[in-house]
Amino acid sequence: MLLTADIVPVVLATGATARVNKRVAPRFRVGDRVRVRNHNPLTHTRLPGYLRGKRGIVETDYGVFAFPDTHAHGLGDKAQHCYSVRFTAREVWGATASERDTLRVDVFDDYLDLD
Amino acid sequence: MYFPNEINLSRDGHRGKPVNPVQILEKRGNSMPVPHNAKPESEPALRVRALEAILAEKGLIDSKALDALVDTYEHKIGPRNGAKVVARAWADPAYKQRLMTDATAAIKELGFSGLQGEDMVVVENTPEVHNLVVCTLCSCYPWPTLGLPPNWYKSAPYRARAVSDPRSVLKEFGTELPDTVEVRIWDTTAELRYLVLPERPSGTENLSEEQLAELVTRDSMIGVTKI
Amino acid sequence: MHGIHDIGGMHGIGPIAPEENEPVFHEEWEGRAFGLFGATYVFAGYTVDEFRHAIEHIEPAHYLESSYYEHWLFAFEALLIKRGIVTREELDARVALLRKEAE
Repeated sequence: MLLTADIVPVVLATGATARVNKRVAPRFRVGDRVRVRNHNPLTHTRLPGYLRGKRGIVETDYGVFAFPDTHAHGLGDKAQHCYSVRFTAREVWGATASERDTLRVDVFDDYLDLD
Repeated sequence: MYFPNEINLSRDGHRGKPVNPVQILEKRGNSMPVPHNAKPESEPALRVRALEAILAEKGLIDSKALDALVDTYEHKIGPRNGAKVVARAWADPAYKQRLMTDATAAIKELGFSGLQGEDMVVVENTPEVHNLVVCTLCSCYPWPTLGLPPNWYKSAPYRARAVSDPRSVLKEFGTELPDTVEVRIWDTTAELRYLVLPERPSGTENLSEEQLAELVTRDSMIGVTKI
Repeated sequence: MHGIHDIGGMHGIGPIAPEENEPVFHEEWEGRAFGLFGATYVFAGYTVDEFRHAIEHIEPAHYLESSYYEHWLFAFEALLIKRGIVTREELDARVALLRKEAE
């Protein structure tokens, strides 16, 4: 498809959601204590290295999205739930971190295990 | 600010290079273009020109579409959109409720939607909680409400420190928070896009929605400042 | 991949030093690079994930030293060359020609 100036506004207003309209069972529920997997592929991932092995709590289930790890390599969308997971700053960064501050990271189902 | 013992990577990624003449002219409000032979074209500029020309010659792209995209994000889509969302939320409790329940739909009510804002989440500042948004892995940012991100948001220093030492980051922006306030850092690792709803300043009860919107800064909607 | 882009929490990176009243594009070529994303995305069929991953392969020192839209340019070139839409030789030849014209 050729992008022409006249269709730019509608293309921008529509966007390209990563949500997938598939029924996929979530492995976790809001309130679950989870532990981030030691997931460290050489290929694409949206799991930041600083989060591997950390313990958190599922705050929100955002629904079903394409999985970047496979989607980046033409291996399909492997649709799965994406969650907002809450971590304490101390859990992630150690004793020098604030005892009050928290991190909220968007984490895919495949990055997590029940703690 | 130059820290001799640290690599200064904040100035557009270049090691300690001076601000270029075009930036100085723009800061002075000088709208005259820099004369063609004032400085040699940089390598990235040549490569972009080459790529655009070749793709256009092959009939794969239309340069006028590029013109439209540039024009849109330079002049039409920017933080004034997000400011309107914030002002509406402050002025209208029912709208605020809708915004906190389904931000994408509520933001679309005001006419803002689409690319890099398909799945919005609004996070509210309160006296107890201060929100800060970052994308450590790249530069994800809610374009329909804030436009394109500033260089500092996309650069290594902010991405490295916002998530691990947010209070020192806030301090660099002149924002100090007591220890009793929880700083909540949102790392935009997936396709949700976050917008901070700043606290409404006191003494603004009699302002119109338009006047309220004028108070809202881009930096407050990222979370590096309060209003 | 745990590459240089995966920078959350790294120490010693330096001050943020935000620029006041920063323009959306600092140079004209940045605007063109930005526009190229939309224009190439719709015909080349790559995903945003693939685009991001291309950037992750930039050599680490170069990633830190180059500007944001240079990262995009790197990704466009990599993705379009990989798909056989342009070749490195074509791009280099055109750059050489443009450089000559500017003299």
